[in-house]
Amino acid sequence: MNKEAAIEKAKKVRFVILDIHGVLTDSVLYYLDDGKKSECFSLHDRLGCMALMEGGIGVSFLTSKITRTDEQVAKVYNVPLDKLWGTSAKMGKLDEFEKESGLKDEDICYVGDEMIDLGIMKRVGFSVAPLDASIEARSVAHYITKAAGGRGVVREVAELILRAQGKWQAVIDSLLKKGI
Amino acid sequence: MAFEKDLEKAKEKAKKVKLFAHDVHGVLTPNTFLCDIEGRRKYTFWHMDGFGDLSFTANGIQIAFLDTTSIDEEGLFRARELKLDKFYYKIKDKIAKLDELKKELGISDENVGYIGCEVTDIGVMKRAGFVVATADAIDEAKEIADYITAAPGGRGPIREVCEFILRAMGKWEEWVEKVTKMGYK
Repeated sequence: MNKEAAIEKAKKVRFVILDIHGVLTDSVLYYLDDGKKSECFSLHDRLGCMALMEGGIGVSFLTSKITRTDEQVAKVYNVPLDKLWGTSAKMGKLDEFEKESGLKDEDICYVGDEMIDLGIMKRVGFSVAPLDASIEARSVAHYITKAAGGRGVVREVAELILRAQGKWQAVIDSLLKKGI
Repeated sequence: MAFEKDLEKAKEKAKKVKLFAHDVHGVLTPNTFLCDIEGRRKYTFWHMDGFGDLSFTANGIQIAFLDTTSIDEEGLFRARELKLDKFYYKIKDKIAKLDELKKELGISDENVGYIGCEVTDIGVMKRAGFVVATADAIDEAKEIADYITAAPGGRGPIREVCEFILRAMGKWEEWVEKVTKMGYK
């Protein structure tokens, strides 16, 4: 899909659902000798999440299991903990959320990279895949980011959505005033 | 997008630098953090960027860290390791801080060098005399810049810009000779 068509879809977005592994991270797992695991996240995406929320667009994380790492990252990104959704039944979660919030498929942007994301990506109004997502996810996506997973995918999506809605500069000015 | 820069013009501007300032995340780091299950975070820096910052101070150019987005005290630890005194932690207004520093050092905008990469840097980049963007900076930063480093953030941009400035000033060769004979720490 071309960028103009993606911008048209982005104009309608009111809520962004983010997959974690491969989107917020580069999929790499770092194991210490004591078995503890780390993952690598981007501070660009912190700006992306904060900008979306400042622009009145909700943000949630949706992954098969929410770990304590994910909770810590949500704190860094200022994403409310009740928006951390841990289930592999992603379509069921979307149904539940839409019922609760009154939002519809076309109001929702989903960013995903793997086969578990395909069903939801085909359904929502605006679906995005990172540059290095699986071929299946990239072929379903309305937009493929220039950023690879873990390297600022959310910041790029946030700028695209907020520019499409004419809010970007005002949101950035307001964040700069508050201190990012 | 490709940005053409006039290197001769950049060298002329670089010669006037007396204070070189930069943020921590996105320049000294790739703007990433590792997070473990206890919520402990790790940040990666680039070995030779330390040499870059120390080379500036050893050659009479002041260095200032204008940190806006540190989550923990990562930038502070790095500044301490490099024994830099001008470290400003979690500041909101970079322009105001730079104005303060200029007054303290008795210098003007043309004596300020700055390297940036994000929306938080644009205000300062519009005012500084010699302006640099990292290879992975946003387009707006690259547009304003006099020079764009080949290195992305966290992968040696300070080392690179330090060489550019010291070469423009004609001090590089002598500095390298001194370092290889006497060391720099």
